[in-house]
Amino acid sequence: METLGFLMDGFGVALQPHNLMFALIGAFLGTLIGALPGLGPANGVAILIPLAFTLGLAPETAMIMLTSVYAGAMYGGRISSILLNIPGDEPAMMTCLDGYPMAQQGKASEALAISAVASFIGSLVATIGLILLAPLLAKFALTFGPAEYFALFLLAFATLGGITGKNPMKTVVAAAIGLMIATVGIDSTGVQRFTFGVLELYEGVDFIIAIVGLFAISELLFFIEEKAGGGKEKMKVNKLTLKWKDIRDILPSSFRGGVLGFIAGVLPGAGASLGSFIGYTLEKKVIGKKGYFGKGDPRGVAGPEAGNNGASSGALVPMLTLGVPGSGTTAVLLALLISLNITPGPLMFTQNADIVWGVIAALLIGNFLLLILNIPMVGIFVKLLSVPPMFLLPIVTMIAFVGIYSISNTTFDLYFMVAFGVAGYIFRKLEIPLVPIILGLLLGPEMEKNLRHAMDISDGDWTILWNSGLAIGLWVFAGLGLILPYIVGPMLRSRMKAAPDSGGPESD
Amino acid sequence: MTYNDRIFGILMIVLAVAYGWGTTQFPESFGGTEAVGPETFPRLLAIVLGLSSLYMVVRPDPDNAWPWSRTGIELIIAVVVLVLYSMLLQPLGFIISTTLAVGTLCWRMGSRPVKAYVTGAISGVVVYLVFNFALDLALPLGVLSFLEVG
Repeated sequence: METLGFLMDGFGVALQPHNLMFALIGAFLGTLIGALPGLGPANGVAILIPLAFTLGLAPETAMIMLTSVYAGAMYGGRISSILLNIPGDEPAMMTCLDGYPMAQQGKASEALAISAVASFIGSLVATIGLILLAPLLAKFALTFGPAEYFALFLLAFATLGGITGKNPMKTVVAAAIGLMIATVGIDSTGVQRFTFGVLELYEGVDFIIAIVGLFAISELLFFIEEKAGGGKEKMKVNKLTLKWKDIRDILPSSFRGGVLGFIAGVLPGAGASLGSFIGYTLEKKVIGKKGYFGKGDPRGVAGPEAGNNGASSGALVPMLTLGVPGSGTTAVLLALLISLNITPGPLMFTQNADIVWGVIAALLIGNFLLLILNIPMVGIFVKLLSVPPMFLLPIVTMIAFVGIYSISNTTFDLYFMVAFGVAGYIFRKLEIPLVPIILGLLLGPEMEKNLRHAMDISDGDWTILWNSGLAIGLWVFAGLGLILPYIVGPMLRSRMKAAPDSGGPESD
Repeated sequence: MTYNDRIFGILMIVLAVAYGWGTTQFPESFGGTEAVGPETFPRLLAIVLGLSSLYMVVRPDPDNAWPWSRTGIELIIAVVVLVLYSMLLQPLGFIISTTLAVGTLCWRMGSRPVKAYVTGAISGVVVYLVFNFALDLALPLGVLSFLEVG
């Protein structure tokens, strides 16, 4: 029951007026970010990090705001899926299948309302799951030694591509590049590595600059290439005529979707996209012939929507307890934690309990805020959706510039960001995933530290890395994470492909 | 033909070798040689990158087309605009450089020029005002610094 006490303390933090205000701002911005095509959640959170910094927000406030952004982005992704048949982010892909037909039948606002309720239930179920599971996992993680941590980091990289990933070798290439960039600078024993005598490199490469460059700038370049500047025609939104019965009908689907999504989110290598995919297929199986899936069945909107929101809360479990994120956006949240000088991992639950529990409580509160925001204010978001990308993306780019510039007031950082942007464009062209690069940048120092620790303990004996049962288990799973995509991947992908092609930005 | 992955793979192998060689150039640390020194982890990385890149060379994925011709030029223009924006942010000041950069990008992405630069100017002024007064963060005024109050 001590969990309940911690949660109450968390509410104490999250309900402070200024934290509540930033949660509201975050939820609003997040929905916006999720709704706008060309601005995925990882991207959006990344751009907001430097701003949270320069505002000098307290750590818990910054975390609460950006977690709200994250939750909001998952809500927002559905808006463009339903109205434009373009997923705002990748996990919202499955929502298109029944959401867009509903909109075509003149039931757009019902689809939006149903998906908002389903998102709410999905998040709620998963947040409760998070509250129950996270402290247990954190306690368990306290038994990890440096060798186990080293293996755990490997596992994180190996499963990052997900079992639907295309070419796991490219994940390895990406991870190696990220880790290499992380070694630049002065190491823990004071030796300069790869600094080439450049003063700006002594402290290493700031991962915030890398993240914003890789995501935001490369997105701009991609839009220019696709000539998608004009935007798409938008669907009319009718007046809402939702009855209580309609909501009751989707409740079972939402609960099932939420639970499945949570599990998919916690497991390494699954992520929100898989969560919404499983949510949808399960609904199809359970309802069977009685449904009219693909032709605007509300349950086909509720299932995946609850699944994707459940998964996004579930994905916070490994990030908060182990310090190992399972998705792009949680990696960006981890970046925020590290730059706030908080060491993520099991110790955070004891050392920074106010932050962890404040964030969890903020998730619960944010959910209610989002539900309230999303039903009456959907009209505003729909209006903003019609801002064509040719105006939107340059402005987003400018905000990225302002954010990075305001960290250190130097032009050097801006050049660096542009360089990362161009590199990000090339990587994406070659289908080299960006998230392992970022994870490499983030985890590199910790990974090396744990390797050195393990070696110091064993006096240079490499076998310590696979000397305990736990470590062996992690190695096995890491291996599976690299091999399974070759076997399961093609199968799952072809089934997900049966759904419309997604042109959404990468990352979940 | 599949060139992209092969060329990139070869470049990465070159990087891995150069990076690996770089680890032999680290200055000697004070405590003498340890089991795991500053060079151990990077050497592991060099090996991993080398092997995985080799795999890309041997088993490349099908190519994505590169945008040559007009779109390619548009991309280069965009990158040049971003570099110039970085360069001119301090000397010209935030508002003017933003007007030029955002305006040019909007214009090149398909907006009409007048509308594009008006968007640039408005966004520049709004963000400047928000940052300077609401958030209390100074952005450079540059050539407009005569407008500065107090």
